[in-house]
Amino acid sequence: MPFVAATRSLGRAGLFSLAVLRASVPTRDFLAELVREIYKIGARSLPIIAVGGAFVGLVLTLQGYRTLATFGASNSLSTLLGLSLYRELGPVLTGLLFIGRAGSSIAAELGLMRATDQITALGLMGIDPVRKAVAPRFWAAVLTVPLLTAFFCSFAIAASYLEAVHVIGLDAGYFWSALKDNVDFVDDYCVAFLKSAVFGGTAALVAAYVGYHAEPTIEGTSVATTRAVVNASLLMLMLNFVMSALLFQ
Amino acid sequence: MSVRGPRLEFAVGAFLLLALASLLVLAIASTNGRWGFGQSSYELKARFTNLGQLRPSAPVKIGGVTIGTVSDITLDPVKFDSVVTLAIDSRYKDLPIDTSASILTGGLLGESYIGLQPGGDMESLEPGEEIAFTTPAVDLIQMVGKYMFSGGKPAASDNGAQSPDSTEPTP
Amino acid sequence: MTEPAPAVRLSAVRLARGGRTVLDGLDLAVPAGSITAVLGPSGSGKSTLLAALTGELAPAAGTVEVFGRPVPRDARALLALRKSIGVLLQGNGLLTDLSVAENVALPLRTHTELPAPVIARLVAMKLHAVGLRAAADLYPRELSGGMARRVALARALALDPPLMLYDEPLTGLDPIASGVVMALVQRLNRTLGLTSIVVSHHVRETLPIADHAVVVANGGIVFAGTPAELEASGDPLVRQFLHGEPDGPIPFDSRAFDNSTPVDARVKAA
Repeated sequence: MPFVAATRSLGRAGLFSLAVLRASVPTRDFLAELVREIYKIGARSLPIIAVGGAFVGLVLTLQGYRTLATFGASNSLSTLLGLSLYRELGPVLTGLLFIGRAGSSIAAELGLMRATDQITALGLMGIDPVRKAVAPRFWAAVLTVPLLTAFFCSFAIAASYLEAVHVIGLDAGYFWSALKDNVDFVDDYCVAFLKSAVFGGTAALVAAYVGYHAEPTIEGTSVATTRAVVNASLLMLMLNFVMSALLFQ
Repeated sequence: MSVRGPRLEFAVGAFLLLALASLLVLAIASTNGRWGFGQSSYELKARFTNLGQLRPSAPVKIGGVTIGTVSDITLDPVKFDSVVTLAIDSRYKDLPIDTSASILTGGLLGESYIGLQPGGDMESLEPGEEIAFTTPAVDLIQMVGKYMFSGGKPAASDNGAQSPDSTEPTP
Repeated sequence: MTEPAPAVRLSAVRLARGGRTVLDGLDLAVPAGSITAVLGPSGSGKSTLLAALTGELAPAAGTVEVFGRPVPRDARALLALRKSIGVLLQGNGLLTDLSVAENVALPLRTHTELPAPVIARLVAMKLHAVGLRAAADLYPRELSGGMARRVALARALALDPPLMLYDEPLTGLDPIASGVVMALVQRLNRTLGLTSIVVSHHVRETLPIADHAVVVANGGIVFAGTPAELEASGDPLVRQFLHGEPDGPIPFDSRAFDNSTPVDARVKAA
């Protein structure tokens, strides 16, 4: 029965997540692994996030201006940009880009570790593979995705400013003041980073689960990578809806 | 991996520093900076016959300066007018008793907010008291309809001090 | 004179994976200090046998004893057992993010409280024993197949385990590298007084160094004895396996395919 199988699969994933949390002990080795993972999935995702953010900012400005101008409300452009960026586009798009770049690499790396017997070797050496390989990646994701979202929003706002003020010709002072007035620190800014942390954590857990349990073959690793990206993306979009419904009254 | 050891640590450190810097810049340059979670505020109430587009968390302003927010909106089951609870920043605690409250809109598409006009009375409103003088929201469409179908005569304004064209105080 | 207790003993062991019996009726005694070759065709369950020794797979029936004690199920006791067994896996299992020296040091850093300089000396010793002292700072991706296999061997020996298990150690190695690995297995076994169990299907390279040979096929052990006895055996399956004959008890034509139409008709229709 597919329903039973799906429920069991979900249960296994939940137990795996619990094991990851339980295995997170801040020893020196753990922190060294954590730093390494922050580099691999955080710092190296920076280019894609920066470029993505800039272009999202540009297109938001472009399309937003076109529509607002017909209502004579083009001064609300920066408000539109700020609110849509912090509330939805920033966390979600950063999350999706992160899943595509870092989520797939987490799944691939763990799948490869499974295929080359690294996970078995760790177990036979008496080292918990979840503690050594999975937990650092999880915490690196929880830490870096909010930071990447910050970069995304910075580049989006900067690009938007350049287009709005220097290309379209809106007033610079009004751009910043409208932005500042309408973006709430707690309700928009903080919520954006809370969302990002949740997205990063779930993306890492999904990718790690799929990669860790991949078939120990080349084909298994490639299947795992694709599944990780698809499942993590869908789960993230669902979580986004739930969080938005709960956090935005 | 192409980076190892001390260069790895430097790269990660630089990444974290840049990220924290951008977080800070974003917070300062693009948010309203209301850091306080439970900034001390006191409550005032006001009754309106028509709220228009007013919603909770709408700002409360005096002369364009935000001094609080709308914390609650309920309907009085006896008199059937709306009771709006205003959370005013405790810094502005000496609002005169004859202060008036009106529901204004910031531009055609702007959000509704409550504008307070302080009176001249020596006595101040105590926390929990009700603002006596209120002006309900202007329903633009209704006004335009009345104007159009009354044959051009400007309709007798039943809204007190409010003029048909909504004022647009600069935020 | 009493015989020394065997390092490993299997008594009427049945091993199953996922409900399907892989091996049954296993009775085996591996003498301490010997090199035992476990041979057999691919897929015969040799690696499953090793899994039973390391505690990865609990026997469905019978007892598996290592150093005179049954393989425990309890996590802490199992950990203690695993510290005394060194395993060389088919994929090497070298961690890609760590250098060679860091890989070899991993068991030492995890299970001992030795200070860093002592660990560094031990790592150098282990690498020297496999002839790779100069490769200490390389990363696994920079190593050839044979070198990686030797580093994995050095790591397996890090805690000086009395029992060494080798799972297909010659997979993917050229003749020279194979010779190096087999020579190392033999030399280390002698000098360190280890008990070694080598699972392999490379008969020609493995038999010369083995003291005992076991052939696993058809879901059980079909032969156990010395290499000389193995060569002299008359069993058709053993002979087919030893001499690499394409047809015999294990047929050339696999029964898994549809055999109802004759071969020529099938070829013409394709």
